[in-house]
Amino acid sequence: MTRFRTVDLLVTVLIGGAFGVAFLGYGQLYTLIGPLTAAFKPAEGLLAGLWFLPAMLAALIVRKPGAALLAELVAAVLSMLLGSQWGWGTAISGLMQGGGVELAFLLTRYRRFTLPVAILGGVLAALLEWGWEKFAYYQEMSWSFSGMMLVFFLISGALLCGGLGWVATRALVATGAVDSLAAGRAAARAAEA
Amino acid sequence: MPPRARPRPEAAGITDQTRKDTRAEAAVHIEGLRWRPLTRRAPTIDGLDLVIPAGQRVLLAGASGSGKSTVLRALAGLLDPEDGEGTHLPAPPQRPGARGLLLQDPADALVAASIGRDAAFGPENAARPRPEIHERAARALAAARCDLNPTRAPLDSSGGQQQRIALAGALALDPELLLLDEPTSMLDTATAEEVRAAVLDAADGATLVVAEHRIGPWLPHVDRLVVLGPQARVLADGPPEELLTTQRDVLVDAGVLVEEEDAQARAPREAVGAPVAALEGVTVPARGLHTPQDLALHAGRLTVLSGPSGAGKTTLLRVLTGALSPATGAVTRPEPSRLALVPQDPEHSFVAATVRGEVLASPYAKDPALVEELLERAGLAALAGAHPHRLSGGEQRRLAIVAALAQRPALLVLDEPTVGLDARRRTEVLALLREARDRGCAVLAASHDPLLLEAADDLRRLTASPVGPEIPPERRLPADALNPLTLCLIGILAAAGSFAVQTWQGGLLALLPTLLLAPFAVRSLRGAALRMAPILLSAAGLAWTTALLGEAPSLSCESWLVGLKEAARITAFVAPGVLALGSVRPTPLGDALAQRLHLPARPVAAAVLALVRVGHLGRQWSTILETRVRRGLGTPRSPRLLAGATLALLVDTLRGAEQQALAMDARGFATAQQRTWAEPSPFGRADLVGLAIAVLMLVWPPVAEMLT
Repeated sequence: MTRFRTVDLLVTVLIGGAFGVAFLGYGQLYTLIGPLTAAFKPAEGLLAGLWFLPAMLAALIVRKPGAALLAELVAAVLSMLLGSQWGWGTAISGLMQGGGVELAFLLTRYRRFTLPVAILGGVLAALLEWGWEKFAYYQEMSWSFSGMMLVFFLISGALLCGGLGWVATRALVATGAVDSLAAGRAAARAAEA
Repeated sequence: MPPRARPRPEAAGITDQTRKDTRAEAAVHIEGLRWRPLTRRAPTIDGLDLVIPAGQRVLLAGASGSGKSTVLRALAGLLDPEDGEGTHLPAPPQRPGARGLLLQDPADALVAASIGRDAAFGPENAARPRPEIHERAARALAAARCDLNPTRAPLDSSGGQQQRIALAGALALDPELLLLDEPTSMLDTATAEEVRAAVLDAADGATLVVAEHRIGPWLPHVDRLVVLGPQARVLADGPPEELLTTQRDVLVDAGVLVEEEDAQARAPREAVGAPVAALEGVTVPARGLHTPQDLALHAGRLTVLSGPSGAGKTTLLRVLTGALSPATGAVTRPEPSRLALVPQDPEHSFVAATVRGEVLASPYAKDPALVEELLERAGLAALAGAHPHRLSGGEQRRLAIVAALAQRPALLVLDEPTVGLDARRRTEVLALLREARDRGCAVLAASHDPLLLEAADDLRRLTASPVGPEIPPERRLPADALNPLTLCLIGILAAAGSFAVQTWQGGLLALLPTLLLAPFAVRSLRGAALRMAPILLSAAGLAWTTALLGEAPSLSCESWLVGLKEAARITAFVAPGVLALGSVRPTPLGDALAQRLHLPARPVAAAVLALVRVGHLGRQWSTILETRVRRGLGTPRSPRLLAGATLALLVDTLRGAEQQALAMDARGFATAQQRTWAEPSPFGRADLVGLAIAVLMLVWPPVAEMLT
């Protein structure tokens, strides 16, 4: 089933919208790791995975081609319209992050929505986002520091996007809020079997 | 019985044969309808037969959980075979919008940034030509008695107005069958009466099916009453006055008719002792609260704060709990651990995976024995291991109240604790509030529920202007004359051009056109500062990072110049786009993406909806955060609290999405691959200037490099 019903479409775009709003509160988290990043800037990459979450949740809940990309793009356009400090760079980031997650599920032909695939999605999103940031923002950063930043990005993508996204989806399935969506139906089938 | 409000449909049908013919499709004919959602073991509709002649007005009554809503969805043709197993499901309507659907929460039906555009949504989906769209939208708004300025944002209007806008949205497609799912249950009595009158007036001639648990006010206006029991089994069916006399006990058992309550339960209670909390001379002009308000809350008393929506009930509650600071006046309140808050949507406060865990979640709830006792009193003991989010609406309300009482509050504050519940469940919530009061707690509930108003020891009515303040129109800028796509192009080409920056001198020179053009895109100095501050901070951060971690020796003069170049480059990359985007609004952007770039219509329309609802999402997010901080679960900086709040926002969003999808599909969105758009997306002469600017932004940075 690749057809987007209205509810699939709405859930996808509203996940993007909800994260766009929640992200405004996430800025606070950077103050938590402030001492760390002041001493060592590439450590900022440790939180990178959080920004890929809309894509991951949309993919794991809606389970249809394009959901990850669309959700992340809505979140990106939203922060852009609200005045993100990266301007049009945010849109490209949305494309990279959503595209990375999308790619992982595409590789399974949208048949597997398991933790390892989610982690792969987080890693791919981190890789693409890092590539874009290196090109656009950190051209002059030395390759050794850039390499360390990549490591932080990959760890964060695997844990905060892949791992946390997968856990969050399970928590959402438990609430019953996704019963009319692919993730809820799969859980119901698993419970019956 | 009041006199019948209108003649019987048979009589009308005979004198007006043509009308009956055109409404023929609306007649409902279902036999042996069964439906089991994939996530449930038992069917929610188990063999329903229902025949409704065209033009009849039917009241579908039944307690919460009897399957009324599912029956309406079935009648609308909106039960999705992907979601469950059904037999004898009615097919979707022949033409979009032939069966209109109104939901309990009108906010779920609102899709657009303006009232006019909202009413146009259905005709757009039906791919009507533009003049017809405007004509239909205007006619529908008039028929729904919605007289607000059509440029206003629908989500900013009051509940009653929202329901009338939603009604207009359905009427714009001339429904032959109008299905209403508890359309007045979230409104106060007077507003509900207005909405009901608008519905009955607008539905003249159409077949009408109203699902309600509060049947009284509808009875004089309907031809037929159908009472549903569990799994949508028909318990009684016939003319209302007949059922009320012959089958009264069936109606009472089904929970749709409440017997008069004993007066002795609400003997007057005297005010005792000093107040636990008080407001003195409080005003919040920013929220429309201009007259100074006083309020004293005493231990062992139930105070109800009433008044039409928009009168400032929620504002006063927020001042009292400390979420909002008043402009003038004084507030006294108990210490944080002894002030408990129950939000209107109990799911906004939930954090645990079991009912018992939920009651023990707050660090202020220290007494396990009290928890067990409260669960027992609230009738939740048997559900102690269940998942809070999986409970029914009434159980969730009681759980949130029990969780609040577990912290032994001196003051319990509740926002609309009974809204949307049926008679039995409202009585259960009231019993719990009385329990709290009798334990010596001061209880304050904002509510328009007559049941609570009756039960209050102290009643406080707020009055306010029915219409919120008009937002002054924004100052028009030269940039506003451009098509959103032109504004996007300026930002994109400028970003591309910025990569030509090679030296710090070239970088600074590259910023020149941005500086010169900024005044044409900036509404106010303050707004410009707000938009530019994060950019300049990031640029400074990048300069620092580059100077520190670049190839040149760390923090040398050379490395700082590279840093300056990077800061100038990133500003040239970002600033033009951010300034240009200040004039881009979601709706015109969607119009342009669909009509000029021919992107797929449904995803574009859905994305616009998500962007339009951001204000609404933001309000939910603040409520969720406030509720959790109030429960002592952490500060807004704690990762744990943020994670829980994000999950709660997602639950709220996902549940809303399901209802919104229904409302949109009832207005023809499911088949709107080829929809039309109420407004064009013109390219004018100004866009030629904009195009020239975009090209300039692309070529200027390399030119600037050559000049240095």
